[in-house]
Amino acid sequence: MRKEKTDMSKRLWSFLVLVVWVLAACVQPIQPTIKIGINAPLTGDIPKVGEGTKFAAELWLEEIGGAITVGGQEYQVELVIEDNESKGESAAAVNTKLITQDEVLVIVGPQASKQAVPAGGVANDLETPMISPWSTNPNTTLNRPWVFRTPFLDPFQGPVVANFVTEEFGFTKAGVLYDIASDYPKGLAEFFKSAWEELHGEGSVVSFESFTTGDTDFSAQLTKIAEAGAEFIFAPQYYNEVPLIVQQAHELGFTGPIVGSDSWGSAELVNLCGEDCYGAFFSTHYAAEGATGATKEFIDKYNAKYGYVPDDVAALTWDSLNIVKTAIEDCGQITGDIKADRKCVRDAMANLKQFPGITGNMTFTEDGDPIKCAVIVRISEEGKFTFYKQICP
Amino acid sequence: MDVTPGSLPNRWRRIRQRLGRFWAPYRSVPMLGWLVAALVAVLLEQSLGLPLARGLGLVRIPALFGVAIILDAPILFPAVLAYVLLIYLIPIALVARYTAPLANRMARWLTSYPMVVGALVHLLILYGVLHIWTGVSDYRLLVARFTMIAIIATLSLNVVNGYMGEFSCSHPGFMALGAYTASVFNILLFVSDNRFGEALLPPVLGPFLFPFSLILGGLVAAAGALLVAIPSFRTRGDYLAIISLAFMFIVKSLFENLEVVGGARGLSNQPNYSTLPVVFVWTVLSIWIINNFVRSTVGKALNAVRDGELAASAMTVDTRKTKMTAFLFAAFWAGVSGGLFAHVIRYINPDTFGIRKLAEVLAMVYLGGLNSVVGSMVGAVGLSLISEALRPLEIYKWIIIPIILILTMIFRPSGMVAFREFDVGAILQPKDEPEKDVDYAAA
Repeated sequence: MRKEKTDMSKRLWSFLVLVVWVLAACVQPIQPTIKIGINAPLTGDIPKVGEGTKFAAELWLEEIGGAITVGGQEYQVELVIEDNESKGESAAAVNTKLITQDEVLVIVGPQASKQAVPAGGVANDLETPMISPWSTNPNTTLNRPWVFRTPFLDPFQGPVVANFVTEEFGFTKAGVLYDIASDYPKGLAEFFKSAWEELHGEGSVVSFESFTTGDTDFSAQLTKIAEAGAEFIFAPQYYNEVPLIVQQAHELGFTGPIVGSDSWGSAELVNLCGEDCYGAFFSTHYAAEGATGATKEFIDKYNAKYGYVPDDVAALTWDSLNIVKTAIEDCGQITGDIKADRKCVRDAMANLKQFPGITGNMTFTEDGDPIKCAVIVRISEEGKFTFYKQICP
Repeated sequence: MDVTPGSLPNRWRRIRQRLGRFWAPYRSVPMLGWLVAALVAVLLEQSLGLPLARGLGLVRIPALFGVAIILDAPILFPAVLAYVLLIYLIPIALVARYTAPLANRMARWLTSYPMVVGALVHLLILYGVLHIWTGVSDYRLLVARFTMIAIIATLSLNVVNGYMGEFSCSHPGFMALGAYTASVFNILLFVSDNRFGEALLPPVLGPFLFPFSLILGGLVAAAGALLVAIPSFRTRGDYLAIISLAFMFIVKSLFENLEVVGGARGLSNQPNYSTLPVVFVWTVLSIWIINNFVRSTVGKALNAVRDGELAASAMTVDTRKTKMTAFLFAAFWAGVSGGLFAHVIRYINPDTFGIRKLAEVLAMVYLGGLNSVVGSMVGAVGLSLISEALRPLEIYKWIIIPIILILTMIFRPSGMVAFREFDVGAILQPKDEPEKDVDYAAA
């Protein structure tokens, strides 16, 4: 009998200890905070993109001193960075979690279109403003009033390249080599083709060759392009394929220029490509070398902190976060009612005029796409991305 | 084998004994009791969850039992633990234990009716639990739907890789066929968009015709499977793996080049038809049908073919027909799961149905267990929830999950719950009669 009693009291004591321990751990002061969700591909196919996103976001948080002042009151800013594994369904799940669990005010990301399209659907359905720094698929923002993006669209970039080559070199015969299995290169190649043929007539794209993601031997396609008499090659490829294409083109004796798109703008490109890429041109959002003003400040800070020159993803993420910040400030107040605050931020974002970003000035269209200028970059003889020209719509 | 006291096997035994003693009262809880207990827990969470979570210092109700919170902020571990204990574990344990006699009486009463009635009652309660649990947050809802779709996909792959004993790699391809077929069907008929133009039928009909679109998707997938089966079943061994892998890539590049369904840019605008009840019903249907299939004569023949094709053939099994049926059947369900998937995520892209999807489904099959319907469910639910809960670990997640897989392969080479029959009758039985194998102390 007695033993049982001690057992009981022992149990009671341990229960009390547990309760006290729990309560002690839980007492936390509640401060007004603004939560910003970052939906980034930290693992999966494009981890470098995820890293750039994360670094830019952390640098931005440091830059603003971890707080935003709205209507005279200072609010702490908290970044909720989540990994989407560069999968569409994960990106949707991450957005749902950010919106319903973490109750973020606004979401920055996802980067690639494959994730941004489904995630944008979630954000729009749950009425939370989202801005994708990198996605170029029209479906990301189409008919979605809550979704915005920072990069220009491919239908704009294609003609930019076509005009630039025509003015710069006076060529009339183009060759195109692109990845048919990836939406970005395919879309851009087609927009370029139609723009070029509008300028130089039917058949002026003398060779329109494709390959599939993961291919490493392009000699057959490059030979065809050379034999068709193309004066230059347009290769809107990601940085990991460009070096192979350029090197193989040179080995096959192709001497004309090779022109690329914003997907070339990775610090890795020159490391992989070496001298073969020197002198090549590509259109992009910003140029690291020769940058001035705020752009240069950003690059220097990033370089000092992380040890390499930021890619366009980092720059666009930076701009997206600043757009978000401006929109929150424009809002005038944070009511604490998350629904009302989200609506307010969305409206403020849609009303931004000539927002001065480091990748150019932006004004959003009805669809949430920016109207902005493109930059033509030349890879210098030192392997640096140098500003060559700015082309506005 | 003599075991000295205090040596590892002995200590193990003592721990197991103690666990057995603790577990003893729960052995008489029937499935009905567990379900009712779970229902009580989720109702408790719905009514008291938020104030309790706030009281414990959590901002809101933890999404997936708080694992993600612990990984994000380890300081909240006691709070999360207390929450899980107070909301889930203690109420479930108490209710299950003290309503066991009542639940057993109910279960016995249900057994006097045809089994369908009992099964339906259980399923209704299960759905109630899911409905209330997912009602707390949209995130849970999404995860629950993805998990159930993973169950269908895993089960269908298990028919080929487990029951038939061949190695098929074409499941993402079948899922893609199902997903695209169902999507095109629904977008064409019920959605006005700039790709297919005006809706051909009034959108009100959409949810009612959704099952047809899924079945159509399944049939197209089965037709695709025929293309793999005809050349590959003439051969033996690894050839199916290679041919089916090739098929997966063919399907992927087919959709990449089909501009009419968006090419590499993908297809979006699917209507939101994959709601929780819809996915739940299809999951139950797939489990029921696949379970019956593998326990039928064809299923037995299938196992015979796996263990010895020549012997099976000598015992009058039409091996070719059996394999063909099973393969097409599996492809059908993969197509259905693809169709459901497309309408949950509401955007599909050829790239989604690639080698990564294959790795995911294969991992679920092999983790859960070959040749087992329960195993497939365990594998699909386990891996889905683990990978969702471990997301905050970022890159380390991809070290932990493979390690889990490796450990499973070392200690349980055929998976967690392999080669076990899924017997609905046994699950629904009352449990208060003394079982013959209660000798857990000696186990």
